[in-house]
Amino acid sequence: MAMTTPRACVRTCIAVIVAAVAVLSAAACGKDAAAPPVEDDATRAARLQRLNGLLERQVELASGKDFYLVLDPAQSELALMLSGAELQSYRVTGLQVGTPRVSWIGRKDATPWQNVVWLHGELDPPRELDRLVFQAPPPKKDAAEPEPPPIPPTPEEMYPVPSRYQVRFDEGRSIEVRPLDADQKASRFARFGAWWSAKWHDVVAALFREDRDAVRLRLVLSPKDAASLYRSLPPAVRLIVLTKDRPAEAAPKRPAGAGR
Amino acid sequence: MAETEPGAAATPPAGAAIPTPPAAAPAGRWPRRIGPFIITRRSAWIAAAAVVLLAAVAWGGTGYRYRPYVDEPVRLSGPAPRSDRELKQLVSRLDRRSRELTTRLKAAAPRGVYIVIDQTQNRIYLRKDAETLLDATCSAGSGMVLKESVGKKREWVFDTPRGRFEVLSMLRDPVWAKPDWAFVEDGLPIPTNPADRFESGSLGEYALYFGNGYMIHGTLYERLLGRAVSHGCIRVGREDLRKVWANVRIGTRIYIY
Repeated sequence: MAMTTPRACVRTCIAVIVAAVAVLSAAACGKDAAAPPVEDDATRAARLQRLNGLLERQVELASGKDFYLVLDPAQSELALMLSGAELQSYRVTGLQVGTPRVSWIGRKDATPWQNVVWLHGELDPPRELDRLVFQAPPPKKDAAEPEPPPIPPTPEEMYPVPSRYQVRFDEGRSIEVRPLDADQKASRFARFGAWWSAKWHDVVAALFREDRDAVRLRLVLSPKDAASLYRSLPPAVRLIVLTKDRPAEAAPKRPAGAGR
Repeated sequence: MAETEPGAAATPPAGAAIPTPPAAAPAGRWPRRIGPFIITRRSAWIAAAAVVLLAAVAWGGTGYRYRPYVDEPVRLSGPAPRSDRELKQLVSRLDRRSRELTTRLKAAAPRGVYIVIDQTQNRIYLRKDAETLLDATCSAGSGMVLKESVGKKREWVFDTPRGRFEVLSMLRDPVWAKPDWAFVEDGLPIPTNPADRFESGSLGEYALYFGNGYMIHGTLYERLLGRAVSHGCIRVGREDLRKVWANVRIGTRIYIY
């Protein structure tokens, strides 16, 4: 019987470990290098059908006169558009889909909201313009130089932006916009107040308002973008949600620096 | 712990003063009999606590449930192809349609230079394809309402229109033909001679007319840029207006939102 020294034992162990690591690495590399699973024709046809449906709706929106939003989950971007031109774009840092439930039970299935155009989006709370009404003085030939009107407020002063707001569309669809880290700077009491208020409104909406918020997309934007969207969103805006899963060439082209 | 019912108090020793029963707790209130059930104070508390707990759990689960966004699963609609050949033909047809729609979508987007105006935030952008050439402040309509006090008692609202427009004419050293409201606002009679309406210099060096009396032009009040002060036109600072003028031509698209 051959005698083995402890040193030989250690060597053997190291050799075995090295060999095992090499084999596992090779297996992992082989797995990575393997060709992606081939998409069968039926799946490809279904994907193309869906893509074409979305493209048709986008073409329809681009040929209309209404403003519309394009939410692109694949690019994490929300774009305000008109006639195919991107007017402003906003980086979406979080996207979730909310559905109502009562006592932990989903209230009802929302009407289909993907692959359709959402209509008549309006801000809630609305952005209101406090119009100055000026009664002109009776005309005189030698009228004195009129007093200059007061300097109007800046857009930031004119349109205070709520910490959270929604854009409500027809058929119970809505988007909820939340600024990133909205409540981080607020006191604990204020944060609790905001949470309580949001919870209360959600409970009331889920319990009693069947026609509102059947599906709600929650978008997290940077505070600057959230404020900008609130101040700039035109009335009766439309929305289309693109799919994540689509060919790269179908991605919209974005002007550099738009909305940043 | 044993619970002493109000009616079961011990008899006081002889000679001691008889204590008066507390007025607030009427004797015989607990336990209560409701139908076949006898309810003690403890069981009532437990039941109340259970109801509150259930309500809290129900309330906690009422509202909105948020989940990460996922695409709907794809499903082939319409009649299913009967053979592999038919399926391949369908894929080819859909592929062609997809390319055609993508081309149409790209064709809808503006080509070359175009102007974008954010009227609520008083910003003007000059863009060329994927590049932003200018990002500057401007002044859009104030939204003010002007009411005429005599005559026809007309009313004007100084809003900037929203939508898609085109540069219809380009004017160097524009002369402003003052409309009626400009006289009404200043308390002056409306001139009968059209020549009395013309005013030079107030529109700056250049004006780009885009219809219905609206223009992109210069201003004498550059300190007010960034605020909504105009009567509906877009006022731009001198240097920015020069850059806009240098890049646009008649037909350039203007998008105002």
